[in-house]
Amino acid sequence: MTPAKTIYLDYAATNPVDPRVAELMIECLRPEGAHGNPSSGHSFGTRARAMVEKARQQVAAAIGARPECIIWTSGATESDNLAILGVARFHADRGRHVVTSRTEHKAVIDAFKQLEKEGFEVTWLKPGADGIVRPEQVREALRPDTQLVSLMHVNNETGVIQDVAAIGAICRERGVAFHVDAAQSAGKLPINVEAMNIDLMSITAHKTYGPKGIGALYIRRRPPLGLRPLSYGGGQETGLRSGTLPTHQIVGMGAAFEIGERDREADVARVTALRERLWQGLNAIGGVELNGHPTERVAGVLNVCFHNVEGESLRFGLRELAVSSGSACSSGSDEASYVLRALGRTDQLAQSSIRFSLGRFTTEDDIGRAIAIVRREVERLRALSPVVAQSHGT
Amino acid sequence: MEPEYSATVVDHFEHPRNGGHFEAGEGVVRGTAGSVAQGTMFVLSARISDHRIEAVRFEAYGCPHCIAAGSWLSERLVGLDRDQLRAWRWRDADQALGFPLEKRGRLLILEDAVHSLGEAWPPFIP
Repeated sequence: MTPAKTIYLDYAATNPVDPRVAELMIECLRPEGAHGNPSSGHSFGTRARAMVEKARQQVAAAIGARPECIIWTSGATESDNLAILGVARFHADRGRHVVTSRTEHKAVIDAFKQLEKEGFEVTWLKPGADGIVRPEQVREALRPDTQLVSLMHVNNETGVIQDVAAIGAICRERGVAFHVDAAQSAGKLPINVEAMNIDLMSITAHKTYGPKGIGALYIRRRPPLGLRPLSYGGGQETGLRSGTLPTHQIVGMGAAFEIGERDREADVARVTALRERLWQGLNAIGGVELNGHPTERVAGVLNVCFHNVEGESLRFGLRELAVSSGSACSSGSDEASYVLRALGRTDQLAQSSIRFSLGRFTTEDDIGRAIAIVRREVERLRALSPVVAQSHGT
Repeated sequence: MEPEYSATVVDHFEHPRNGGHFEAGEGVVRGTAGSVAQGTMFVLSARISDHRIEAVRFEAYGCPHCIAAGSWLSERLVGLDRDQLRAWRWRDADQALGFPLEKRGRLLILEDAVHSLGEAWPPFIP
């Protein structure tokens, strides 16, 4: 059972649905609402179809795309798989070399590992200690048989921003398809897929105050980008993603992206101020370090390692805070974060790292209480630590 | 998912008994085992009087089970003599605290720390 006073600082894992979004979704579910199958020809269906298409326009507008380039999926994991496996398999006869980085989300890493099993050669780029993959690294990795480059816009663990526009320009110049996992950046950073030379982009609703279970893949249409579907059936979404469209979730994603883009600057300014206050408070405890680039980072994510504190004890001590160590998708594992290890952190420091992620509903009071709780636990655990005693010469 | 902890582990983790250490001096012995690189480290210090342990302090780097084990142990060692210390085995702590199977190796480090304390206890300390 969740303690009543737990402070939610895990927005990078998922967001609550914005009440304005929830209202619109509920309307679709009522008997008098748009509950028809959007593929049906009768009035219930056409009404639902109109709402689906409106949402497609809303999502497209938020990322600078044309609506016909948006394919609905179940979320960023499916979008990543469809983009990576779909492009690589479709173009396999033209080349079997693909490029990504070691700090991608598991949905991307495991899709590339699947390609390795299918005979593709993967170049795994290593970011610098600041978490950034330099565009020149990508340029140097490209070969005549390279079909695809996939890099995330914002890292889910560190919040570090990659220069996807510069990397997109390199890929476009070399005629290589460029996929971006933007699950963590939509609604937080300005995105224009055309200006950034992005060919495929994965987005999801639940990290932008929309519902879970719905996402989208942006696919460049002109010139057309060959893509093999992952599933077959009714031929929805131009045959790329069969299955009945979930109108209420799509409506929720459309509204969430429209609100997210409209309120983005105000949200980012407020969240940045809260994150900075949190960092100042944590830094004052001493023996803490920021993971990732100090400035090239998204507003809501702060990943901090605590010296001389064991990770599991720290997490248990901080159970009044809903925070993560590593990605929520893999934090059940006792292993140190592969992202932080790739940035050069030791196992111990990676395990003693906590990701605090803030969002639209985080308050000043939340941050003040969080700082006090972290200080209390870190100081308590350090007082029991032989490592601290030794470092003080006793 | 984080591991589950028994009520005894939670109690000792939240309210550790006898944390810290005795300054080196007459009648004080110190035992240590493990390392940060291993993820578990214990330092025990004990004050000896009349051939028996009078008081124990512990320091621990490790998971909540380890911190709880150090705290629990600090109460159990009081009154033991040198031979009893050397004969101490990890199973008592496991029974009291309910260590998960995958963490039992950490109790062996605790046992090593207890034995190290026994080794550091010279026969001439009264």
